Amino acid sequence: MPGMWWVVGTALVVGLVAAYLIWTAGRVERLQARAESAARALDAHLLRRAAAAAVLAEQRFGVELYAAARIALDAPPEEREAAENDLTRQLRAVVLDPTDPACAAVVAASRRLALARQVHTDLVRDARTARGRPLVRLLRMGRRHEWPRYFDVDDPTLAVPADVTTG
Amino acid sequence: MRIGIVCPYSFDVPGGVQNHVMDLAEALIGLGHQVSVLAPADEDSPLPPYVVSAGRAVPLPYNGSVARIAFGPVSTTRVRRWINRGDFDVLHVHEPLTPSLSMLAVLCARGPVVATFHTAMTRSRVLSAAQGVLQILLERITARIAVSALARKVQVEHMDGGAVEIPNGVAVAKFAGVDPLPGWPGECGPGTGGALGFLGRFTEPRKGFPILRDAFVALARHRPGLRLLVAGPGDRDDLYERFPAELRDRITFLGLVSEADKARMLRSVHLYVAPNTGGESFGMILTEALAAGTTVVASDLDAFRRVLDGGRAGRLFPTGDSVGLHAALAELLDDADGRAALTACGDQVVANFDWPVVARRVQEVYAAAIEATDGRVIDQEWAEMG
Repeated sequence: MPGMWWVVGTALVVGLVAAYLIWTAGRVERLQARAESAARALDAHLLRRAAAAAVLAEQRFGVELYAAARIALDAPPEEREAAENDLTRQLRAVVLDPTDPACAAVVAASRRLALARQVHTDLVRDARTARGRPLVRLLRMGRRHEWPRYFDVDDPTLAVPADVTTG
Repeated sequence: MRIGIVCPYSFDVPGGVQNHVMDLAEALIGLGHQVSVLAPADEDSPLPPYVVSAGRAVPLPYNGSVARIAFGPVSTTRVRRWINRGDFDVLHVHEPLTPSLSMLAVLCARGPVVATFHTAMTRSRVLSAAQGVLQILLERITARIAVSALARKVQVEHMDGGAVEIPNGVAVAKFAGVDPLPGWPGECGPGTGGALGFLGRFTEPRKGFPILRDAFVALARHRPGLRLLVAGPGDRDDLYERFPAELRDRITFLGLVSEADKARMLRSVHLYVAPNTGGESFGMILTEALAAGTTVVASDLDAFRRVLDGGRAGRLFPTGDSVGLHAALAELLDDADGRAALTACGDQVVANFDWPVVARRVQEVYAAAIEATDGRVIDQEWAEMG
């Protein structure tokens, strides 16, 4: 019965294609969720750094740094990248003393922010690559989510002498 | 934090990655974490208490050398069981792009995964055929660490992603306190005496041994008592044949040395010479020499210049220039104060490479990976703990 083999063969192909589609959809969802988590973590670290910088500005460096920290905290999403870059520039302009706890807090927050930024960029790239695949686009997988966006700021690491030595 | 570390290569044979994994695990335990290391090992080989054996490793020719790795269905089962039992907060795999336990662990893992890339290998032969497989593997990794600037460059250019650069650590305590070999380093005064050290395969052109030989021969003729200590794989007669007969009694060959003897060897010389002409991505041996408190003379390679802080922590000479090396050696052997100044700066530099410091930076990457997985930020105090 050659007709029987046609049925089995077709069922097999359909099954394989379905399995692949389910797996791909799961992959897109997973990468999307991870990019969103990374974005939340990055947001939290940005707030932490700005808060630490504001504390430091109140103690030592005054108006200009304080203003930059305030603007970074309050910036609307579309101006946030510029505001954060500005804060990084302000922090680089002052001389940080690693023995002062407020300075050390800013340096530590900046280091953690640099890691969060790096991880976020990588995960957003992975998620966008997955969503950009032709099949994923064609079937409009992940359409319930916005495309993950890069957060494009300069490396916020602050070079402080004896920074790593003090741990 | 509960940390699971996967080492792809067997602990039965010594190697850079294995040492790195063991030192990192011990440093993390020292910081108060619970660490379990999964590695291939023979059933009866003695292992540290934190290592779990994944069974025997099979020697496989891979990427031009023979690697002892475990791969296959049995290994997969063991990896999965280890991950399920371990209930780890973060999984840290080393060299995940070689077909090994590390690759299996990445494929089995669900939570945050941190990967460390050691070699500057562009991509493995097996995976170059399958870009899609590489992508599936890479997208399961949350955060990447590269141990050198070169390894990081490969990440950025070829694997389409960034990596945090955290250097190899060095266990300063293992190098600082040990006794030198009996009778070494001996006298070293103006115009007389002194001991030079070289470690590595002297037959390999990239290690630059001929440059050191030329400088040593020229210097030893005018400097009585100057000695040379060579350690590394190779044949004794082959080494002696490279020197004029009247100088051969000034050369001591140790052959292949253990980690402990390496520390003693580094403590036994006035100057450690690294005449490499290329192919070094990090310069681990230089940090070890600095940790031993030995003055370093090294060729002006990118990797070496970084470790030696642009020449403040050790003397750099033009790469491949035996005349330049000769001049640097002659000057430093006569100048005890100059050597002391370089070693003092070397102590500061090597403090950055001490394992507890390096482990703290790795711990921050763990925190970043965990945060990126569930979106909650870990408390500052927790991350700074220890």
